[in-house]
Order: sequence, then structure tokens, then C-alpha cells
Amino acid sequence: MKKAPKRIAQCRLEVGRGVIKAVLYILVLGLSVAVAFPLAWMVLSSLKTPAETLRSPPVWYPASPSFEAYAKVSGIIDVQRSLLNSVAIASVTTAGILVTSLLAGYVFAKQSFFGKNLLFALMIATMFLPPIVTLIPLYRIIQTLRLDGSLAGVILPNLASAFGIFLMRQFIAGVPDELIEAARIDGASELRIVFQIVAPVVIPPLAALGLFAFVYHWNSYLWPLTVLQGNDGQYPIVLSLSRLLSYNRSAINTNLVMAGATLAVLPPLVLFGFLQRSFVRTIVNTGLIG
Amino acid sequence: MTASGRGWTVVMLAPSVGLLTVFVLIPMTLTIALSFYGWSSQTPFASARWIGFDNFKEILSVGSVGRDFRQAVGNTCIYAAASIVLILPLSVALGLLVHQSRLRCATALRTILFSTYMVPMVAVALVWSKLYSPTEGPINQVLGWLGIAPLPWLSRPDTALEALVILNVWQQLGYFTILAVAGLTQIPETILEAARIDGARNLGLFWHVTLPLLRRTLLFSGIIVTINAVQVFEPVAMITQGGPVGATNVVTYHIRRVGIERSEGGLGSAMAMILVIVLSAIVSLVFLAAGRRSEK
Repeated sequence: MKKAPKRIAQCRLEVGRGVIKAVLYILVLGLSVAVAFPLAWMVLSSLKTPAETLRSPPVWYPASPSFEAYAKVSGIIDVQRSLLNSVAIASVTTAGILVTSLLAGYVFAKQSFFGKNLLFALMIATMFLPPIVTLIPLYRIIQTLRLDGSLAGVILPNLASAFGIFLMRQFIAGVPDELIEAARIDGASELRIVFQIVAPVVIPPLAALGLFAFVYHWNSYLWPLTVLQGNDGQYPIVLSLSRLLSYNRSAINTNLVMAGATLAVLPPLVLFGFLQRSFVRTIVNTGLIG
Repeated sequence: MTASGRGWTVVMLAPSVGLLTVFVLIPMTLTIALSFYGWSSQTPFASARWIGFDNFKEILSVGSVGRDFRQAVGNTCIYAAASIVLILPLSVALGLLVHQSRLRCATALRTILFSTYMVPMVAVALVWSKLYSPTEGPINQVLGWLGIAPLPWLSRPDTALEALVILNVWQQLGYFTILAVAGLTQIPETILEAARIDGARNLGLFWHVTLPLLRRTLLFSGIIVTINAVQVFEPVAMITQGGPVGATNVVTYHIRRVGIERSEGGLGSAMAMILVIVLSAIVSLVFLAAGRRSEK
């Protein structure tokens, strides 16, 4: 007598689980599509004809995808030069951040000296400062150094990163002291210890920091805009996009603007595709949380 | 440590400490100092003229300088608050979905969510300006399918700031979802198991056990959302120029316009100082409140 309702309940539970799982699947799928939609729209619109982008209600798929817009964009902005400027800014800045963060992270994690904690706290405090707070005097300093209008002026102030120092200290602290002590006894200099003993152990966080720095400085706009004002030969791609703005007013040039946006978006996205595993793992493990 | 060891310490610290000092700490000190000066940012620092609290008085006065700045601060507060209200609950919901559903496609969702964080804000602004287009944009079209009347989005003062918030949420949600997943990962399974034995289920388990254990994660996320919100610049500079009628004039855009474009370096520095003071006050209050609650 008692058994039957129990079995029914269990059966209901099984069906319930199946339904929940199906609902979850649909939910995850729907969310993925919704989140990916703006970028998909960007690429699709870059392949449309002006007649299609003018249509209201909008056309979702281009009838015959064409790369004409991309050719037109290269007529308005020097795409190749802009991409090269972006690569120069992002890669030199990233290389600088990796080296300075590794060195300082090692010192803060593994050496001791008077006032170390205070100095560390002072450096880390800069991490939370919104860039606008220092923008005005910083711009004047760069002008005084006669670096305004140049890529060097964009790059130089960003070669060290408080976030990078913090991140590397966290991970280098986990490197066994015995490893470093053994190298010291063997007579290795501190510099050699950092690059030959410590660095190989902290490759994953270094890769994550590298990706983060590269993408951040590829995407940055406020500082390059301030330093490079008017000197469009030095513009990185995100700044060059602002030259497409006059075409943004009318829907007839939507394909052109979207082609430009696609060109700026692809490099960081592709890089992310390659490095996303170690990146996500590092964020989860930074110790910034928990 | 040996003398040569000390030498290495200096050599290894010098690049970071030197760069951060010259390009962050000194400019910060200059911002503090310049806020008490009348100074055009096109002229050398030496030409600055001491004027005491005049910049601050002007900003806090009823004149147009004060009105515009207060509007920018107000807009930024609304922007930050709306971003927090949307991002925190969504990040926890999506975090639970990614963390607990154990579906294989959940990892794909995580990757897609996070990829938006990699996209330059300039491109995001351009794309969304098209998505929001009242007649040719797909958003109003989809709203139409749902029977909702078309919205003016960026072209009207009462919807422009909200439109920018949605764009911000879309770009940043992935990052905060990962933080939520990280927080969820750190909750020991034994605690959840013990709560289940005590009879806690689904919503109750979430509300009384999971959510309190996520408090530190949420606190950290809230602070980062706020600091990021203060920095919003690209969509305003590219698409709205602070308009319509000042509805999207936000602090970073406003301070740059005053301090760099109009070259009023002293006035801009004073605004930056007020921003730092307000921001630190908010962050310390949040920490204080959180500390007091955890003492209970």
C-alpha cells in the first residue's frame, strides 16, 4: 500500500530531473546565442550591401555576402599601419609589464628588506586609482618629455603594472624556497634565479598576465587619444575607428563601420581563443577572492 | 643577505617602483597640488598660480561649472548603481548555471560570456549604436515581435544612460560570472552536505548557505564594478558626446573635457580630487558595513 505512492514519487522525480536538465540546456543555449548576438550582428552587417543596411525592419542575413566594405575601409583609414601601431603598443607594453612584474613580484615574494610591506602596499594602492585622476598632470609630463604624439609616449607610462606585480607575487610566493636556496648555493645570481628557476614554474600566470596586458592595451582608448591627438599616422586601430564616426551618422555606411569594428575586434578575440584556458584558471586562482 | 644580494634587490625593484612613481604617484601628488592652483594644462607647471580653495568653491557653487560636474557625478552614480543591480545577481545566477549544472555546453557559455570582455569598448560602442538604431536596429525589431513599442534608446535623455548601462552589462558580465564561479568553487562541499542533512533545499539552501558564503566575492565584485563604472568613456566619447542634453555626461568624460580639451588643468584636477574622495568614502563605507555584519 505504502510502496506505490513512493514509486510514483520517484518516477516523478526522474521525469522532473529530465525536464530540469532539458530546461537548463535550452537556457544555456539561449543565453549563449543572446550573448554572442551583438558580435554576430557586427560580422553579418559588415558583409551586407548599403541597400540591405538601410532596410527597415532590418535584414539579418546578407543575401550575397561581400567584402566590399572592407576594401572601402582601407580607403578611409590606413588599416595596415593602424594594426601595426596597435601591435607595437600592445606587444612592447606587454613585454615590459611581464619583465617588471616578474622581477618585482620575485622581490616582494622572496626577499626581505626594511619597509617592504609599506612599499608593496603603496604600489598596490595605485591599482585602484581610476586613470582619469592622474590623466591631466600625466599628459603634461609626457608633453614636457616631448613624447606627446609618439608611440613612445603611449607606451612608456604603462611599462609597469601594479596588478602585474600583485599577480606575480601571489604565484611566486608558492614556489618552494628550497629550489631558490639550492640555486643560491650553486652560486646563481638573483637575476639568473628569476629567469631560469622561477619563471619556468610560473608560466601559466605569466601567460594569463600577458594576455590580459595585451588585450587591455590593444583596447585602451583614453590614454592613446590624449597622447596622440591629431597625429593619425600613429593611431592604433581603436583610435582609427573614431575616423569612421562621420560615416556612422547614416545607416547607408553601416557595413563600412562594422567592417572597421570587426578588424579591431578580431586580434584580441583570436588571442583569447588560444589562451582562454590558462586565463580563466588564473582568474579563479588569483587569490583576489575567497 | 649578502651585499651583492642587496644590490640585486635594488636592480630588480627599480624598474617597477621607478615607473609607478614617475607615472602614477607623482601625477597623483600633482593632481592634489594642482587642485589648489589656477593652471592651464597647455603651460608648464611653473606657471600655475595659487588660488587656495577657489576651484573647489567653483565646483560646489550654483554656477554652470558646479551644475555640469554634479550632473556628471549623478549620472555616474546612476550608471554604477544600475550596473551593480544588474551585474551582481546575473553573475551569481550564471555562475550557478555554469558551476552546478554540469552540462558540457556550460563551458561553452562561459567562454562566450568571457569573450565579450576581450572586445575593445570602442567597437562595442559602434556595434551597439547600430543595434539600438530605432528603425534599422534589431533590438526594436525583437521588441516589436514581443509586442513592445519601439524605444528611442540613445537619442532621448530619459533612455540614453540606461542604454549605456545595458551595453556595459553585456561587456562585463562574463568577467564577474567567472569571479562568481571562483567563489562558488571555494565553498566546501561538506558545508553544503551538512546543510542538506539539516533539511535545507534548493532556494533555502541557496539563500541561507550559498549566498552568505559568497559575500566576499560579491563585495569584491561590487567594488570592481564601481571602479569600472567611474571609467566609462568610449561610448560617451564616440556615440553620445555626453548628450542628449547632458544625460550621458559622466565623470571621466567631463573631467577630460575640462582638464584637457578646455585646458583648465587646475579645475579638472580639483574635480579629480573630489572624485577620489567620493570614491574612497564609498569603498570604505562598504567595507565598514561588511565588516560590521560579519562581526555579528
